[in-house]
Amino acid sequence: MNHGRWKLYTFLGLGFAFLYIPVLLLIVYSFNESRLVTVWSGFSTKWYAELMQNQQLLDAAWLSVRIAATNACFAVVLGTLAANALVRHGKFRGRTGFQLLLTAPLVMPEVITGLSLLLLFVTMEKTIGWPDGRGFTTITIAHITFSMAYVAVVVRSRLSQMDRSLEEAAMDLGARPLRVYMSITLPLIAPALLSGWLLAFTLSLDDLVISTFVAGPGSTTLPMVVYSSVRMGVSPQINALASIVVLIVSVAVIVAGLSMRQRPATKSSA
Amino acid sequence: MANPEQRKLEPWQDPKAAPYVRIDHVTKQFGDVYAVDDVSLDIFQGEFFSLLGSSGCGKSTLLRMLAGLERPTKGRIYIDGADVTDIPAYSRPVNMMFQSYALFPHMTVEQNVEFGLKQDRMPRKERAERVGEMLGLLQISELRKRKPDQLSGGQRQRVALARTLAKHPKLLLLDEPLGALDKRLRESAQFELVNLQERLGITFVTVTHDQEEAMTMSTRIAVMNAGQILQVDTPTAIYEYPEYRFVADFIGLVNLFDGRVAETQDDQVLVETNLGRRLHMRCSHPHAVGTPVTVAIRPEKLQICQTYHENGVNQVKGVVEDIAYLGDVSIYRVRVSPEMLVEMTLTNIQPRTEQALTWGQEVAMEWSPTSGVVLTE
Amino acid sequence: MLLKKTHLRDRHLSRVLNIGTPYLWLGLFFLLPFAIVLHISMAETALAQPPYTSLMNWVGDGVLQIRLNLQNFVSVFTDELYLAALLNSLWIALVCTIACLLIGYPMAYAIATSPERQRVILLMLIILPFWTSFLIRVYAWIGILKPNGLLNNFLMWLGLIHEPLTILHTQTAIYIGVVYSYLPFMILPLFANLTRLDFSLLEAAADLGCRPFKAFLKVTLPLSLPGIVAGSMLVFIPVVGEFVIPDLLGGPDSLMIGKQLWTEFFGNKDWPLAAALAICLLGLLVVPFVLMQRLESRIGGDEL
Repeated sequence: MNHGRWKLYTFLGLGFAFLYIPVLLLIVYSFNESRLVTVWSGFSTKWYAELMQNQQLLDAAWLSVRIAATNACFAVVLGTLAANALVRHGKFRGRTGFQLLLTAPLVMPEVITGLSLLLLFVTMEKTIGWPDGRGFTTITIAHITFSMAYVAVVVRSRLSQMDRSLEEAAMDLGARPLRVYMSITLPLIAPALLSGWLLAFTLSLDDLVISTFVAGPGSTTLPMVVYSSVRMGVSPQINALASIVVLIVSVAVIVAGLSMRQRPATKSSA
Repeated sequence: MANPEQRKLEPWQDPKAAPYVRIDHVTKQFGDVYAVDDVSLDIFQGEFFSLLGSSGCGKSTLLRMLAGLERPTKGRIYIDGADVTDIPAYSRPVNMMFQSYALFPHMTVEQNVEFGLKQDRMPRKERAERVGEMLGLLQISELRKRKPDQLSGGQRQRVALARTLAKHPKLLLLDEPLGALDKRLRESAQFELVNLQERLGITFVTVTHDQEEAMTMSTRIAVMNAGQILQVDTPTAIYEYPEYRFVADFIGLVNLFDGRVAETQDDQVLVETNLGRRLHMRCSHPHAVGTPVTVAIRPEKLQICQTYHENGVNQVKGVVEDIAYLGDVSIYRVRVSPEMLVEMTLTNIQPRTEQALTWGQEVAMEWSPTSGVVLTE
Repeated sequence: MLLKKTHLRDRHLSRVLNIGTPYLWLGLFFLLPFAIVLHISMAETALAQPPYTSLMNWVGDGVLQIRLNLQNFVSVFTDELYLAALLNSLWIALVCTIACLLIGYPMAYAIATSPERQRVILLMLIILPFWTSFLIRVYAWIGILKPNGLLNNFLMWLGLIHEPLTILHTQTAIYIGVVYSYLPFMILPLFANLTRLDFSLLEAAADLGCRPFKAFLKVTLPLSLPGIVAGSMLVFIPVVGEFVIPDLLGGPDSLMIGKQLWTEFFGNKDWPLAAALAICLLGLLVVPFVLMQRLESRIGGDEL
C-alpha cells in the first residue's frame, strides 16, 4: 500500500470517528449512575429499569412501532409499483412528472411536507368528513408518502440490475406476465423488498417533524416524547432509550446489508 | 442436385413444400433504427437453420420476433400456417434458449426444467416423468437438486436445453447456443446439438456470429448484414458460391480481384483486372462486356504454379511476405502488386522446416476457372 | 384474436397498476397539499377551528366573493426577521454543503477504492448512522457541546482551555450538527458514482505520464461531478428547511426559516403566515431541485 492510501485511510478513520464517537458516548453514558449525564460516577443500569417503568414513553413507543410497521408494508407495495413503472414501462407519458413526484419527498424539507399534509387533512375533514380527527391514520399516510420514495430507490436499483432475459425466458416457457412477476421477479428482488421494508420502518420510527404536524391530541409518537424531554435538557433515560434504538437499528442494517449481499442476478454481458 | 432422393431432403428446393416458419416482409424499427429491414424467409420442418452475421446485424431481433419477445413494426410471421404476429410469447408453440441461458437462479435444475410444464398445468406425475426424461436425454440427472450457480458452463447449457425441450416444442430457437462455452467444449457441443436435433426432428433456428459453428451445424444459413438477409443457402453453397462480396468476405478467407468483363463466351468470362492480366472464370450468369465485377477465389483453391507463363491464364506471381503457420495448414501472403496481397493456403504435408516456400521467395500461383465466382455486388 | 386482446389487457392492467397507483397516491398526498398550502397562504388568521378565514364566500344573489390576502407574502419579504431567517438558512446550507463535500469526498473515494471485501463493511458503517434516529444523533451533541459537557471537560482536562467554551446554542453548534447529520447523504451518492468509475482510466493517465494529483483533477473529479451535484443537493435542499437542528443546538441569534415556520404555526397559531413561509421556501428550493432532477435523468439513463 502506497503513501497516498495511508493518508486516505487516516482521513477515513477520522471521518468514522466523527460519525461514531457521539453515538458511542451516548451509549457509554447511558450506563452512568449519576443523573448528571456528563459526569461519570459509576456503572449502573438503573436508567434502563426506569425507562421500562415510563408508561407514557412505552405507550408512545408502541404507537410508533404500529405506525412504522403499517407504513412499511404500504410503502413497500407502493414503492415497488413505482419502481416497476420506472424500470419496466420505459418512456410512458408523464414519466418526468412521475419521477419528479417520486424524488421530491426525498429532499423536501420536513416542515413543508408536514404543514402541507396537515392542511390537506384539515381540508379533507371539512369537505368529505374523512379522516375523522388526526392520529394513527394521518401519521401513517404521511409516513407512507415519503417512505415509498425511499423504497422505490432501493427496489429500482435492484430491478434494473436484474437480467431481463430471466423474465423473457419465463414468458417463453408459457408464463403469463403476472405469473412471471410472481414466480421470477419477486423472488429475485426479495432482498431489496426486505431492506426497503426495514428502511421504511426505521424512517417512520424516527420521524418527528411530520408526525408533530399531522398528529392529533391523543397520538404521541416516540420521537415526540423524546423531543419534549430533550428540550428540557439532557436526561439519562433518553440515553438509555437511544442505546436501545441504536442496537435495534444496527441489527436491522446488518440484516438488510447481508440480504442485499446475496449474489445478485446481474445482467449478463450479452 | 437432380437426384430425386436428395430433393426430398431439401424441401426448400421443392416449390410445393409448405414452409414451417414464414417470415413475410418483416421490419422492426427501434426509434429511427431499422434493426430488421423488410426480411422475408421460409424455414422448413426439420431444418437446422442458422442466422449468421456480425453483432448488430439484426439476427437476434429476428429471433426474438419469432419467439414473440418483440413485435414486428411491419410484416407478418406465420408458424405452421398460423399467423402468430400478434400472439404473445407465452402462447406460442415455440421455445427459446437464451444466450445467457437465463436459468432461474432461485430454482434447482429440476424446478427450472419443470417450470414450463407447470405453466401448462400438466399433472404432477406426467410432469415428473417428463423432467426425468429430459434430464436423462441430456445426461444431467445427477444434477437435479443443484442450483444454477453450482453448475459449470457446459452443465448450464445442458440444463437450458433441457428446459426448452421439456415442452416438446415444434420449433426451438437458440440465441448463440454455444457462445458462452470455451472453444474445446464448443466443438463437441456442436455435434451433440446436431445429433439431438436429428434425433428429435425438431426445427432449430439458431443465431450465431461464428461462421464455423454455422457451417458445421446448419442445413441452411442466412447471412445477415445491416438488418437485411443477403443470401440463404446451404453451407457448401454459401462458401463455394457466395452471391455478394460481403458474404464471400464474411465467411472464411477470400482473395478478391476487382475488374471489368472483357469478353464472354458461353458460360465463361474473361475479366480484365487491375493486376494487368486477365482472369478466366466460369460464370453461370451472363454479364455484359464492361460490367465491373469482382472475382472471388478462396486461398485453398490456389496452387503453386509449375509452368508459369507471362500471359498464362489465372496465374499470378509475387513475393512471399508473411507466413501464418496454423499446424495443419499454412497461409502464405504473397505480394503480387504494390496494392495487393494474395493469400494462399497450403496443406503442410512436410514438416515445417522442409517446406518449399519461405519469406522473400518469389512464387507463382494458379487456379482453375471453376474454382471461384464472379460477383457483381 | 382473443389472445391478442387478453395480452393487451394484461399489459394495460399492469400499466394502470404500476404507474397509476403511486401516481395517484403522490398526487393526492404530495401534490394536492401544495395547492392547499398556496390557498391557505392567502387567507387571514381567525379565531376559529381551523384558525383561518375562507377565501370564498357566498354573499347572496349568486355572487361569489373571493378575497385574496397577499399580506402574508408582503410581511415575509418586508419583515426583517423572516428575511434574515431566509438568508441565514441559505448561508448555513451552503457552508454545510461545502463542508460535507470536503469531508465526504475523500471518505467516499477511500471506500470506493478499497478492496471488495472491506468495501461492503465500510459502506455499511456509512449507512448505519443514516438509519439511526436523527433526533438521537442530534441529541448526542447536546451532551458533548454543553458548557459543562464532554468536550469542554476534555479540553480543560488537557489544559488547553481554562474556561468552558460556549458552543451549544450558537451557529457553530448548528454547523456541527448539520454536517454530522447530513454527511452520509453526501457520501452515499458520491460513493455510488465513484464505484462506477473505471479506475483503469487513472492507470491510463499515469501511464501517459500524469501525476496522481493532476490525474485526479483531470479525470476523477470531472467524471464524479454528477455524484457531487447529487450529494450536494441531497444536503443543501433539506438543510435549508431544517428544524430539529436549529431548535436543539441553535441559539436565539441563529435564525432559520424552518424553525420560524414551526414557531408561527405551533407558537403563534398563524397558519396562513406559516403557509406563506412554506410557499416561499418551496419557491426557493425549486431551482436546485429541478437542476438535480435534470442531471439525474441525464445520467440516470443507464439505470433504465
